[in-house]
Amino acid sequence: MADSALSVALAACGCVTPFGDATATHAALLRGECALRPVGFLGRDGGDAVPLALIPGRSLDETAPPDWLPAIRRLNDMIPAGDWGSPGRPVFVTGSNFGVGGLYALRRTGDESFATWGALPTCTERLRSELGWGPDVSIVSHACVSAHLGLLMASRTIWAGLADEVLVVSFDFLSPFVAGGFHALKILNGDFPSPYRERDSGAIGLGDGAAYAVLSRRRGDWALSGQSLFNEMHHFTSNQGDGSGFRRCLETVAAAAQGRRVWFKGHGTGTLEAGRLEIGAAAGAFPRAPVVGWKGSLGHTLGSCGMVELAIAVESVRVGRTPGTIGGGGLPMGERVSLEGFENGGFDGVVCASNAFGGAHAALLLCHA
Amino acid sequence: MLERSIQALQTDDAGAETPGDVRNRLKGNFPAGATRRMTTLGLLVGNALAALDPREDEAIVYASGYAESCALEGFLESFPTPSPTLFQTSIHPSAVQQLMIGRQAAVREFLPLSGGALFAFHALRAALLSPAPRAILCGGEERGTWLLEHGLSSSRTFAFAARLQPAGAPGALGHVRLVQGGGAGALGLGGWFDLLHRRAPFAGTIAPGWRMELEWA
Repeated sequence: MADSALSVALAACGCVTPFGDATATHAALLRGECALRPVGFLGRDGGDAVPLALIPGRSLDETAPPDWLPAIRRLNDMIPAGDWGSPGRPVFVTGSNFGVGGLYALRRTGDESFATWGALPTCTERLRSELGWGPDVSIVSHACVSAHLGLLMASRTIWAGLADEVLVVSFDFLSPFVAGGFHALKILNGDFPSPYRERDSGAIGLGDGAAYAVLSRRRGDWALSGQSLFNEMHHFTSNQGDGSGFRRCLETVAAAAQGRRVWFKGHGTGTLEAGRLEIGAAAGAFPRAPVVGWKGSLGHTLGSCGMVELAIAVESVRVGRTPGTIGGGGLPMGERVSLEGFENGGFDGVVCASNAFGGAHAALLLCHA
Repeated sequence: MLERSIQALQTDDAGAETPGDVRNRLKGNFPAGATRRMTTLGLLVGNALAALDPREDEAIVYASGYAESCALEGFLESFPTPSPTLFQTSIHPSAVQQLMIGRQAAVREFLPLSGGALFAFHALRAALLSPAPRAILCGGEERGTWLLEHGLSSSRTFAFAARLQPAGAPGALGHVRLVQGGGAGALGLGGWFDLLHRRAPFAGTIAPGWRMELEWA
């Protein structure tokens, strides 16, 4: 049976952002607060100031051990205990950068201690040891749709009867490596992002973020369905100009959401063309759905964004109020873009979408179980 | 039990070849000009994957522990004026994207994975759980230079691509099964590649609680 026809229970989820946990983050977004601050993209070496949202107390410069470990430990404290990583209790770790900050520091200083958290397998193995997980820890890395892929792969182990519960963890913490890369692409610049708003030029912000989700065969107040992927493979950093990639991904979710009244949590980084294409596709697939995006406050938390924002969406439904699209000025890209927060009691589903390099698209439907 | 037949297979062990050797050997297999910005891993994985001519409805599971080690090294060396091209090509799924973007060939499901000691199990589980009618399990590694000195890249250069279909399809080259049971054991990506490259049979534990059976026609 196709994935899109199946549903999986979300037993628990949470996140850590510069504002704190999902409750604190949701409350800050409702207040319209912005976590982004101007920071030199090279850290202690300066560089142009660009909008970054760092976990309080953390520097863009890498330390050994990494100074993002306390945030990971805070996240781990939220995760229900469960012999994770043992047979039948698999873990999927997702992200786009893992230990690249350590690689940058290693190259810059030659200090071998930075190598211990560098590279995906090395970083994940250290994390596994740090958090006391067993050996069944898969690593998923597909840029900014990584979290969605982890959720889908975890769901499949449940649907196949290979596990009763699965833990998905996603994290991305900023470093000069990442900030430098996006600055080189010129989309991370001195401007602060204004997602889904028309203006002369686009800009993104980047943010620290980590999140977890426990998917379950039997328990959970929430359900994920309509999980959808599509990869345009048109260009490394841009999308097909006709928006077909967005549409192809969302058509699967729209089928799962048929008969429901949904709101749409978009990707919305602040780039202009992708914003317009996403808004157009969302309007086509979900004509009545208000659209919000939160990266104007949190920045783009990269590989973790799909799960960080899922945790905030869950909190929004739990509280009954959805934060609006925060950031900057300019006219909204469509009438469905909701700049203000709104009461969501009249809705019975949330479409959560993310996009990535390579024209990668991912989306899912969040509902009460 | 999870089971698939192996309907097509390409393997490439670059052995002691330098990146230049690999480029010279493979560039003729790509359209003129297409290889200018391709990485060593992109050339190797792209060449193996191209031979299987992936379709949009096929799932692509891509397995590489360290992926684009040389692009990573180059990107790090480009600071304080980081290279946008090397940033793009250093991302984990880049090798597959280099081929597929060159072909303008969309694919619905693309699952790029990394892994360690249990990587063969994790990659196979991902491929065998895909509901796509056919799945391609591909992957590889490229030898780094200074990252290798720190244990942060592969010491070998290789690539593979295997098309997996539901068991029973005619013309199978072999069969692979994941069976629950067994004690301790592990199989990494290099070990999995060696089995494919030598068409070697295998029956044993590759992850705690999981056995793999690999048979060839």
